[in-house]
Amino acid sequence: MTTRRTFLGGLSLAATSLPVAEALAQAVAAKGAVTESGLVGKLEGPTPAGGPVPASFKEAPQLAELVKAGKLPSVDKRLPAEPMVIKPVETVGKYGGIWRRGFIGPSDGENGNRIMASDKLLFWDFTGSKIVPCVCKGYELSADGKTTTLFLRKGMRWSDGAPFTADDFVFWYEDLYSNRDIVPSPIQDMSAGGKPGKLVKIDETTVQFQFENPYFLFPSMLAGDTSIGGGQSTRQSGGNTAAGYAPAHYLKQFLPKYSSEAEVTAKAKAAGFESWVRMLHVKKDWQLNPELPTLGPWKTVTPINTPTWSMERNPFYYAVDTAGNQLPYIDRVVLTLAENIEVVNLKAMAGEFDLQERHIDLQKLPVVLENRDRGKYDLHLDLAFNGADTALHVNMDYRGDAVIGKLLGTADFRRALAMGIDRDQMNETFWLGLATPGSVVCAESMPENPGAEWRKKWSTLDVAAANKLLDGLGLTQKDSEGFRVRPDNGKRIVIELLAVKAFMDWPKHAEMIAQHWRKIGIYGDVKEAERGLAFRRLLNSDHHIFVWTNGGTELIYLYSTWCLPTDISNGAYGIEHAKWYASNGTLGTKPTDPEMLKALDLFRSAAGKQEPERNKIGQELWKIIVDQQFQIGTCGQSPALMGVRMVSRRLGNIPGRTCIAQHCRTPGSSRPETWFYKS
Amino acid sequence: MISFLTRRLLLGILTVWLISILSFAIIQLPPGDFVDAYIASLASSGSSVSAEEAAALRKLYGLGEPVYVQYFKWVSRIVTGDFGESMEWRRPVTEVIGDRIWLTLLLSLAALIVTWGLALPIGIYSAVRQYSIGDYIFTLIGFIGIAVPNFLLALIIMYLMFKYFDTSVGGLFSSEYALAPWSWARVMDLLEHLPLPALILALGGTAQLIRIMRANLLDELRRPYVVTARAKGLSEMRTILKYPVRAALNPFASNIAYLFPYLVSGSVIISIVLGLPTVGPLLVKALVAKDMFLAGSIVLLLGVLTVIGTFISDLVLMWVDPRLRHQLD
Repeated sequence: MTTRRTFLGGLSLAATSLPVAEALAQAVAAKGAVTESGLVGKLEGPTPAGGPVPASFKEAPQLAELVKAGKLPSVDKRLPAEPMVIKPVETVGKYGGIWRRGFIGPSDGENGNRIMASDKLLFWDFTGSKIVPCVCKGYELSADGKTTTLFLRKGMRWSDGAPFTADDFVFWYEDLYSNRDIVPSPIQDMSAGGKPGKLVKIDETTVQFQFENPYFLFPSMLAGDTSIGGGQSTRQSGGNTAAGYAPAHYLKQFLPKYSSEAEVTAKAKAAGFESWVRMLHVKKDWQLNPELPTLGPWKTVTPINTPTWSMERNPFYYAVDTAGNQLPYIDRVVLTLAENIEVVNLKAMAGEFDLQERHIDLQKLPVVLENRDRGKYDLHLDLAFNGADTALHVNMDYRGDAVIGKLLGTADFRRALAMGIDRDQMNETFWLGLATPGSVVCAESMPENPGAEWRKKWSTLDVAAANKLLDGLGLTQKDSEGFRVRPDNGKRIVIELLAVKAFMDWPKHAEMIAQHWRKIGIYGDVKEAERGLAFRRLLNSDHHIFVWTNGGTELIYLYSTWCLPTDISNGAYGIEHAKWYASNGTLGTKPTDPEMLKALDLFRSAAGKQEPERNKIGQELWKIIVDQQFQIGTCGQSPALMGVRMVSRRLGNIPGRTCIAQHCRTPGSSRPETWFYKS
Repeated sequence: MISFLTRRLLLGILTVWLISILSFAIIQLPPGDFVDAYIASLASSGSSVSAEEAAALRKLYGLGEPVYVQYFKWVSRIVTGDFGESMEWRRPVTEVIGDRIWLTLLLSLAALIVTWGLALPIGIYSAVRQYSIGDYIFTLIGFIGIAVPNFLLALIIMYLMFKYFDTSVGGLFSSEYALAPWSWARVMDLLEHLPLPALILALGGTAQLIRIMRANLLDELRRPYVVTARAKGLSEMRTILKYPVRAALNPFASNIAYLFPYLVSGSVIISIVLGLPTVGPLLVKALVAKDMFLAGSIVLLLGVLTVIGTFISDLVLMWVDPRLRHQLD
């Protein structure tokens, strides 16, 4: 596969599209601003309109026929009393069409989950910085931060027509989440200050999350891509059971509580499942079970584990446009199984997909541009908000070798490594000049950004300064090839870069960094590993430096996994430190670095703080992370991950630029239900 | 004769059992399990699994148990015909393989027919007309066929098709038929897409077989019995086809052992390159995802088919070659 990728990529870049690549590079280099290339549009998106609910509603022709035939209630009876009114980007659309898209197999469930993002309780607007209503029409956070009240839409219905009420929340909390056969251990999101919270029904359309400690962060958690706030599609598929609500009327038949253990077990065996738990995990998974009632704009017709994963319109979807047309406009979504990512790219370029941003490879940009007219698509580049698509995540608790462990734990050593990287060369080579070089800090537009100077801090090429820092650490002896040697045995200092070929070709990035480090006398040894194996190694923290993105950290509290040791499923910074943090000091080992302790303390305190103060703490956190170089940033804020968007020219209401970020559920926050076919 | 066959059969069963242990062991060899692979794959698609959720998954799939317990559970179910559920596809393994096996068989058979249909006559021609212009041309093409890896050929052809003919690349169906239920038009669509992959699949094998057939036949042609047959006035056609060709066919018969698993798996690399929905890429994905039951079942299936293929090839050899048959008596 390696051969093939290199071959096709190389061939098309070299032989067929040099002029385009050059033109692009010139356009980009002209003012150093990516926006000048014309491919990065204005950040925009559909918005929940604050105005009045339209007086009358309209529906898709197919649904109107079903209503006429008496098979479906009329549209005003299907919509909630207060439907969500969405103002599309350009215009009120028209019904019809099939959205063709590619996916790469049952492991690619996120491909569909993200389209269904409007089943989240709360969501972010198109800028990714403001919480907006979604399934819930509103929320209220108590003054002490201990309770969050959610207001549901009266008369809202599941995709099978059954009412969606507070009872669906209670069912999730009592019968699914609290059942240890289904959810063996509680989720972090549901506790504040180490104490588990609870979910209480106030009335039919009001529910309340109650905590013993202040939890001002909770509404953001509900809007973010978290266990509690991720929505039914994402968080109740693939064996997960979070999301806060579930279709009680449908799932009750699969639980022992509502019949008997023997009965559900017999039912499971008859259906070919090992146990009733296994059956439940399939039945509540929207990707697998077409019968499952959902809240999103479409619902599964043929499941994800067949060659075509297809969906059709949910006739009870809760949103309308400003003219009262029930959404979505598009009739069906058809995802075609491609054996690999290359095929997705080729098919997209042949115009066989109508909107594809997932799996499109930035390195193929010149060919993508060249084929625009033939494939009849437009290209949009969406820039991310995270600081580094390629970050060096340093293991702060490496125990395999005392000398290396001490060096990795020394701030000046990390700073020297950071200053030894030529980010401009990396940008030109791997991002076609489209990224912003610098540290790992999030984009200046994000509320937690501490200021523009932190982009460059320790993060520009300065070989002399780096050498001075390294000399200052006493690493002055060099071997015959000019590499610095260890103080203990006189052998070369070898820093291993563990790299995986995932959505970027990180082993190649690492090779280039190792080349740069020769100038500062550090020998970088690239260890390429298969993805699963690399993550296994991270769990034991027996790596020096792991090369990976820091995507998701643009909102640090919602996704701290790639910046601080807070998550025990990720040992990139030392698994014992993560255990120590997650267990409130009862497990694992305490970090010795005072700056790390300070950062973790700040991070822990933030969940209970009001937003302005929380953002201030976020800025403090970034200052520490960048100053200490816990992670070394290279290039970021680029379209590398899901930011190369190929859109059929037949589609309307497409934003010029969308927010691509973990919490925005790309392309979820640009509301696929408002897209339509112009012809 | 009977005792020979019984012995072969019993040995075959023993081998299959050993294969089952081996295939399970091989899949368990790399560190990590399905949940690790699943977490890694989610991480790289911009999602995550919390530690609690990972623990729940491990419990769900019984991954915490010792390896021998997992093996025993697996084998005792297979004996009853239950191959388990694929963790990645979340469907019974038999269904997942079943989806693809017919297309795989079709493709492999088509490739096989092309291979034999080309290799036999060309091989015979090359041997009989040794050092003629035709022989040189076929030899040249043959060497190119052997030397060029067929995935490279696939890439070049794919690129040319995309660049100059705007043809859909990847897959066995046009997009409008990929979804459609079986119909005459869909069959025609499949037949349109079939020749190219079949040809690419066949090419390497054809070149090889031509060389083998030519070499074997050349050996036989120099035997005294051929001279005798000619001297007795047998027609040239009959002389060659009836005796030396038959003797030269032995390698084809012993090839059957490898053909069986090949028919089912298809060529892994070519299928991946061309995006063909065959069993090959399925196996690769299952191994990467550490989907034990799916990978184990495919490896076991391939092993069993090799054993059966060897058995059948022994039978065929005995039928084709009387010398072997008489050795046993």
